[in-house]
Amino acid sequence: MSLDAEQAVQAAFRDEWGRIVATLIRRTGDWDLAEDCAQEAFAQALASWRRDGVPRNPGAWLTTVAGNRALDRLRRGARGTALLEQIAHDPLRAHDQDDDEEEPDVIDDDRLRLIFTCCHPALSLEARVALTLRTLAGLTTAEIARAFLVPEPTMAKRLVRAKAKIAAAAIPYRVPPPELLPERTPGVLAVLYLLFNEGYAASSGDALIRRSLCEEAIRLIRLLRRLLPDAPEADALLALMLLQHSRRDARLDANGDLITLEEQDRRRWHCDEIAEAEALLTGADPPGDAVPSGPYRLQAEIAACHVRSPTDWARIRDLYGRLERITASPVVALNRAVAVAMAGDLDGAVALLRELAQRGELAGYHLLPATHADLLRRRGDAAAAVAQYRRAVELAPSEAERRFLRRRIAELEA
Amino acid sequence: MKYLQLICIEGTTGTPEAAAAMRDNVGPWVQETVARRINIVGKPLDDPASAKTVRVRNGETIVSDGPFADSKEFIGGLDLLDCANLDEAIEVAAKHPVSWFHAIELRPFPDGLEIPAIASEDLRYLLQVFADEVPKPPEVEDAIRREGEQWREAAGDALVFGNGLQPRETATTVRVRDGQVLLTDGPFIETKEFLAGVCLLNCQTEQEAIELAARFPLARHHMVEVRRFVDL
Repeated sequence: MSLDAEQAVQAAFRDEWGRIVATLIRRTGDWDLAEDCAQEAFAQALASWRRDGVPRNPGAWLTTVAGNRALDRLRRGARGTALLEQIAHDPLRAHDQDDDEEEPDVIDDDRLRLIFTCCHPALSLEARVALTLRTLAGLTTAEIARAFLVPEPTMAKRLVRAKAKIAAAAIPYRVPPPELLPERTPGVLAVLYLLFNEGYAASSGDALIRRSLCEEAIRLIRLLRRLLPDAPEADALLALMLLQHSRRDARLDANGDLITLEEQDRRRWHCDEIAEAEALLTGADPPGDAVPSGPYRLQAEIAACHVRSPTDWARIRDLYGRLERITASPVVALNRAVAVAMAGDLDGAVALLRELAQRGELAGYHLLPATHADLLRRRGDAAAAVAQYRRAVELAPSEAERRFLRRRIAELEA
Repeated sequence: MKYLQLICIEGTTGTPEAAAAMRDNVGPWVQETVARRINIVGKPLDDPASAKTVRVRNGETIVSDGPFADSKEFIGGLDLLDCANLDEAIEVAAKHPVSWFHAIELRPFPDGLEIPAIASEDLRYLLQVFADEVPKPPEVEDAIRREGEQWREAAGDALVFGNGLQPRETATTVRVRDGQVLLTDGPFIETKEFLAGVCLLNCQTEQEAIELAARFPLARHHMVEVRRFVDL
């Protein structure tokens, strides 16, 4: 019984936290109050549900309890009276007491309001990511701090400062009007992709938290798509995340070392997620040269090529070429060089890498010498390859990556 | 919400393209914002080289020529805006031609501030009050507040409008490049001491403005920069 209650609270937390906080912020305008009351409602749920059993509609139960807590606090507070007056006249107000069955549209609108407000471009990117994780995903300040490798007080300060700016500068709590959506949606996608990548990159941090970052990002992009059906780049970003996430169980070996795509056990890929991503991509118009495709679409198309067999490297090369034209990113240029090599032009690829190294933008980035080494190895130039691998080892940020590179050196020297 | 819109000039003022854009677009911008009841008042400032920086140390008033921050960037004018929210302030700032070539900083005033109608002719001098984030002992803070009220009374009709701003972390800097609105979280110029409040004065001479600046309580702890408004 008590185990059921705990599981029910955990499940409700994932599904309901963001919704409850979003609704309370709309009703009270007070971010801290909303978070505190949601927190208290979940704590109370654990005790009550153990004692009385899990209610038929846990979400409604939690919303009502959190809402009542907020009202109690407001009644006690100095500012409360005016706010209560305002809430009484709020046409979107929930029906009182236990039957808190708000219109699904209103609930979705609340979460969408919260996403757009957390991702407002007048906040710094790091503040946007932290705020999204705290208020929408319900991660604690300590968890967010650990995920981004900053001390907890630093993260707490970042969150306080962001919330203070929202209030003091009057950042509106709303979904932007249609004319602003094209300008604001990419910013939201950027935050969600950053969130995902933070979880996906094996560079550092707690493995469990990293995986939950990926899952949160996928959950939030799904939500965003449901709420904004006409956003092709949101579809593409979901496809991209699903394709990368589908390989989570095959990417690392028992020691936590990276396994290259070529060497991964494909039976451990999550085929349902790959199928969903493929459907999202085939549902959309094929990316044509004439139609400018967005960066997420191109990246998702590339990721899709990687899960198909045999890999169409010429197509990957062309897609990277187009991505490079949009983004002018040296990392994309590096990836294009790899695709050029894999499509058969090893010398051309080495020339591209030399050019890239001369540009200097990737100085200090371990994947530049690591890639260079890999191409030299494929060309049979073992001595030069080892020299580049050694430079990569010096620059690699994680032990898992250094182990991988040392293994390559050992293979070449054997 | 009331905002202070600072016209921020980056480097040189004068490419012919920028000058032409300013000439053609500032007028329509003022018309539109006045018609929408967003624009309370606004005016350009004289060359920053003509600024005076006023400090009071050990009872002695020290006036130095030039702005307090010695940089290529400077404030070229200001507007007081009354907007529904930050999005509206950003929308309006992004229509101002200065944001196409330079930048606009939006600083919120404390919530609930009422600003009466202000005639542009009444703006003659600006006091920019600077402070830092280092907290002072409570008795010093109290004294500053008390003396600030006394200063306000003593200034009388010469003070058209004066108020503190929300902390600088609440600032948003707006630039428009290639048709894209680019926002930065934070003020236009990052200095240790930052703009903490503004006073708009209607006094006849620079000497009067400098005397008012010297009597301002924060002049003893930090500094007050005196700038002259100019007519369009």
